[in-house]
Amino acid sequence: MTYPTARSILSQLVVFGALTGACAPVARPGHPAEAQAVIAFEARVKEYLALHRKLESTLKKLPRRPTPEQVDRHQRALGDLIKSARRDAGRGEFFTPEMQTLVRRILGEVLSGPDGKTVKSSIMDENPGVPQLVLNERYPSSIPLSTMPPQVLAPLPKLPEELEYRFIGSRLILLDTHADIIVDFTNDIMPP
Amino acid sequence: MLMRRILAAFSVVALLIAAGHRAGAATSIRLVAAGAPQDSAAPTVTLPNRSDSLKFAVLGDFGTGDRPEYEVAAQMARLFARFKLELVVLVGDNLYGAERPQDFKRKFEVPYQPLLDAGVKFYAALGNHDARTQRDYKPFNMEGKLYYSFKAPKQRVRFFMLDSTYPVPVQIDWVEKELRDSSEDWKIAVFHHPLYSSGGRHGSDLKLRETLEPPFIRYNVSIVLTGHDHFYERIKPQHGIVHFVVGSGGRLAAGDIAKNSDITAKGFDTDQAFLVVEISGDEMYFNAISRAGQVVDSGMIRRRVPP
Repeated sequence: MTYPTARSILSQLVVFGALTGACAPVARPGHPAEAQAVIAFEARVKEYLALHRKLESTLKKLPRRPTPEQVDRHQRALGDLIKSARRDAGRGEFFTPEMQTLVRRILGEVLSGPDGKTVKSSIMDENPGVPQLVLNERYPSSIPLSTMPPQVLAPLPKLPEELEYRFIGSRLILLDTHADIIVDFTNDIMPP
Repeated sequence: MLMRRILAAFSVVALLIAAGHRAGAATSIRLVAAGAPQDSAAPTVTLPNRSDSLKFAVLGDFGTGDRPEYEVAAQMARLFARFKLELVVLVGDNLYGAERPQDFKRKFEVPYQPLLDAGVKFYAALGNHDARTQRDYKPFNMEGKLYYSFKAPKQRVRFFMLDSTYPVPVQIDWVEKELRDSSEDWKIAVFHHPLYSSGGRHGSDLKLRETLEPPFIRYNVSIVLTGHDHFYERIKPQHGIVHFVVGSGGRLAAGDIAKNSDITAKGFDTDQAFLVVEISGDEMYFNAISRAGQVVDSGMIRRRVPP
């Protein structure tokens, strides 16, 4: 899987913007701090992906049509491997302060638009949050996944299939969907 | 007595009832399917039950593992005795809460075992309560994909199964292309969040509508099947497309349909329900059936044709 650069993201956003009528580039042209934040984020994701795939390759490959038991075992085993390999990982490795500033700016623009209230209510629908999030722990099974409106996803840096953005309450998380663990999360980032 | 049984077994009662169940601008014919093993508890569906038609059910927001889910599943099994479903499409929230291996059994495999044993294939879309790993669960036939399309085994029908909780640009591009390249007469979109709903708790997802409705209109989608709101609702045709909300397979939001909604063609929010559909040529017949086995909505829809 090739990984997109900031430039390719921008070009994809133009295409998507034409489809959705909404075009909010991930980093403002001529804003070096934002461009730098995206480059650093992409590099970190690439690095994580390499680790994820390396560790996953050490596990017995799931059959084409696995049973729930096999999926569960695989998921937990991968989660343990990643947790062990990243035991020294700290919060903010992906969502650096600069990246959080960028995300906050993007959310601010999307949510202050004419449909902002609708977008926010879509994200917060069945999204009560939890008091405490723990890095590298499993996604809490008691709460549903937040909906990510296309207008929010489009301007964020594109992720590989193994990772997703989600909100838990007002915090943005990076979720490893194969291992079902939280790779990073922000402080409250949703504009009031 | 024996003679009566034989006659009962072989008689295909085609009880033609006057039209009167209109869905959109379509005329409707209502027939009572019979001729199957007698089961007084089985729902009396008002569908043609033709031999060459495509028959399927729609189920959403069901995976609780609780009694109402089991009772709806039992109605589906009774229906199957006289109405041979080929497949069931799942509009998401297939498992609530924990998704341990035993949960897949209690919340899915056990209640729908009669249908699974009979070879009925289930095709899932994921809802906001569903873990992403459900895509690998064999009975959901997702083949590891979060969004996919498949051709029905009968009639010229294609289903487009989308992931509405995470509509990344690449998925939107995919569905646009897939719809454009599809040559089937019937294009049916299936996903969790309704573009139109009169639900007080959730309601219409306007942002998703902005993104998905234009390609649906452009490429002749006829039917949109969704859930998320925990009731049954058929929406008046929107740009020629009929939307169903079938989030009533296990959970129920009693009284949640706005009473003064001007988009509701028919709503049912007092009990769990599922939808059963029959497609024959250019016509799609449908019945919404409650947990108690009553037909709470029915009608016929003609497919959209390219202008």
